[in-house]
Amino acid sequence: MATRSMTPTRATDASAGRWRHRAEKLKAYLYLLPALVVLAAFVYYPIIESFRLSLHRVAPFGDAEIYLGLGHYTRLLTSPEFWNNVSVSLWFMVGTVPVGIFLAVVVALLLSYPVTRMSWLHRTLIFVPVIISSAIAGVLFRWLYNPVIGHINTWLEVIGIDGPNWLTSRTWALFAVTVAVVWRQLGFNVIIALAGLQQIDDSLYEAAKVDGASTGQRIRHITLPLLSPTLFFLVIVNVIFSLQAFGEIDILTNGGPGQATENLVYSVFVDGFVGTRFRGLASAQAFLLAVMIIGVSFLQFRGFRKKVHYQ
Amino acid sequence: MTTPAPEGITDLDLDRSVALAATDRRRGIASAEPWVQVSLFAVGLIISLPIVVAIFTSFTPLPRILGDSNSIWTPPWTFDNYVTAWTATPFGRFMYNSFVQTGVITFATVITSIFAGYAFAMFRFPGRNVAFGVVLGSLMVPFELTFIPNFVLISDLGWANTFKGLTVPFLANAFGIFLLRQFFLVLPKDLYDAAKIDGATDWYYLWKVVVPLSKGAISALTIFAFLGSWNQYLWPLIITNDESMRTAQIGIRFFLINQEAATDWGAIMAGATIVMLPTLAVFLVAQRQLVKGLAMSGLKG
Repeated sequence: MATRSMTPTRATDASAGRWRHRAEKLKAYLYLLPALVVLAAFVYYPIIESFRLSLHRVAPFGDAEIYLGLGHYTRLLTSPEFWNNVSVSLWFMVGTVPVGIFLAVVVALLLSYPVTRMSWLHRTLIFVPVIISSAIAGVLFRWLYNPVIGHINTWLEVIGIDGPNWLTSRTWALFAVTVAVVWRQLGFNVIIALAGLQQIDDSLYEAAKVDGASTGQRIRHITLPLLSPTLFFLVIVNVIFSLQAFGEIDILTNGGPGQATENLVYSVFVDGFVGTRFRGLASAQAFLLAVMIIGVSFLQFRGFRKKVHYQ
Repeated sequence: MTTPAPEGITDLDLDRSVALAATDRRRGIASAEPWVQVSLFAVGLIISLPIVVAIFTSFTPLPRILGDSNSIWTPPWTFDNYVTAWTATPFGRFMYNSFVQTGVITFATVITSIFAGYAFAMFRFPGRNVAFGVVLGSLMVPFELTFIPNFVLISDLGWANTFKGLTVPFLANAFGIFLLRQFFLVLPKDLYDAAKIDGATDWYYLWKVVVPLSKGAISALTIFAFLGSWNQYLWPLIITNDESMRTAQIGIRFFLINQEAATDWGAIMAGATIVMLPTLAVFLVAQRQLVKGLAMSGLKG
């Protein structure tokens, strides 16, 4: 046997090696520990806790809980208020995603015009919304939307339009909030769209040009198909963003007028933190919202497996 | 670039165009046809208009704003609105709170991501795939699902209205871990073996080789973490109700509510400008890394 023939020194070497191996593994866990502790405590534990809360009625003040089973869920699914919030969330999505991506692609196409070499100033002006917070976006647009002296209405007046009171009008409030959110997202969307465009090989355009394809044809038959992975990514990310919109709503409209701009996130906030607190009910809504968002994220993972259209 | 560009991370044409634009500027020639320049400038102006309006308004005396909001484009301008904003509400305190909150979150995110990314990229250990799945899975969990239990937990710990409450839930995140792991993975394995033969410990190798070679990814992560935490809204809104613990974003919310009644839009815009100043500064200085970092994460899905 090998061990028998080993000299004492080699035997200690071997066991030292084993120890080192074990220490190695231990070290890996130590490196992981800080991150895993944070994720476990503030991402994974809350998922379970959130579901548990959603099955209970929690006393608004204090910790008393009564088990309800799926009571909150059945109540929500039969409540017109809940469906109002769902429909606000969905309208928000419909209002922000296509427009936001369309604008981003148009701007990105303009930026990638062959002879264009953007100056620092151009890039700064075009990308700058990327650093704006939802709160600041809300504040800036609250000023622009001011019915009497806000810039939007004074400019509309110049062309003879009597602008509405954007944020308190049932007809316009949701639209107004949508514009603010589209604007804040634009910087990010343009950057991603531009990165996607620059992945496309110039020689394809050259070849198409030689074959006599017009600009429109080149965009339709080369740019858009090859941009489809980027577009897909943008759609998913923007859908998730739109479902999570909160800051602009809080600052611009507080969910009003009535509940015209109260999406699911805002409703979770109101039920959970404003006035009388219904943490159980709020958790149930958060759970349903999360199911929507996770469903979309899941699509993303699947979609990226298949990939869309690659060069 | 002094660092080897890891495979799969595309150096965007942006770099090239930036370099070209720089040379053109030095030579004093326009880098594109004038009409493209003009239309780009117009598009840029439209996009940045809300910010430009806010900045101009913040320097215009209040009576002129209220008389005609379009008078902001011409002087006389003034610093009065900043004085009003700064004295009417503890903006200094809000900014301090935001700097502490953002500093702690950014520093911790970078450190925990470096450690975890290193563990995933360099070590083989039982449960590695499970642990990695756990990290990736957390990317899919929306904040809306976790913030109520987190609020209850943080309150029970007595951390509401403290920096601990503002920061602890965000000391690590999956995005940072994933980003750095991808970067560390493509560092040449030979380097590691060579360092090992020379007797370097893993700790030494991490700080003397891996981190210096990954400056690009680490600085991108630093910028993301900075912007993300500075701009946080929902969490600081619920976890602080003591005015002295409000972050800048929450401070501006309440300042808006108070000043709007007094229609002091000059002061409100001054406050908004103060709040966005740090992120604006980071953007102006680190625009390239930020844009490249975002583009990279977008392309990688």
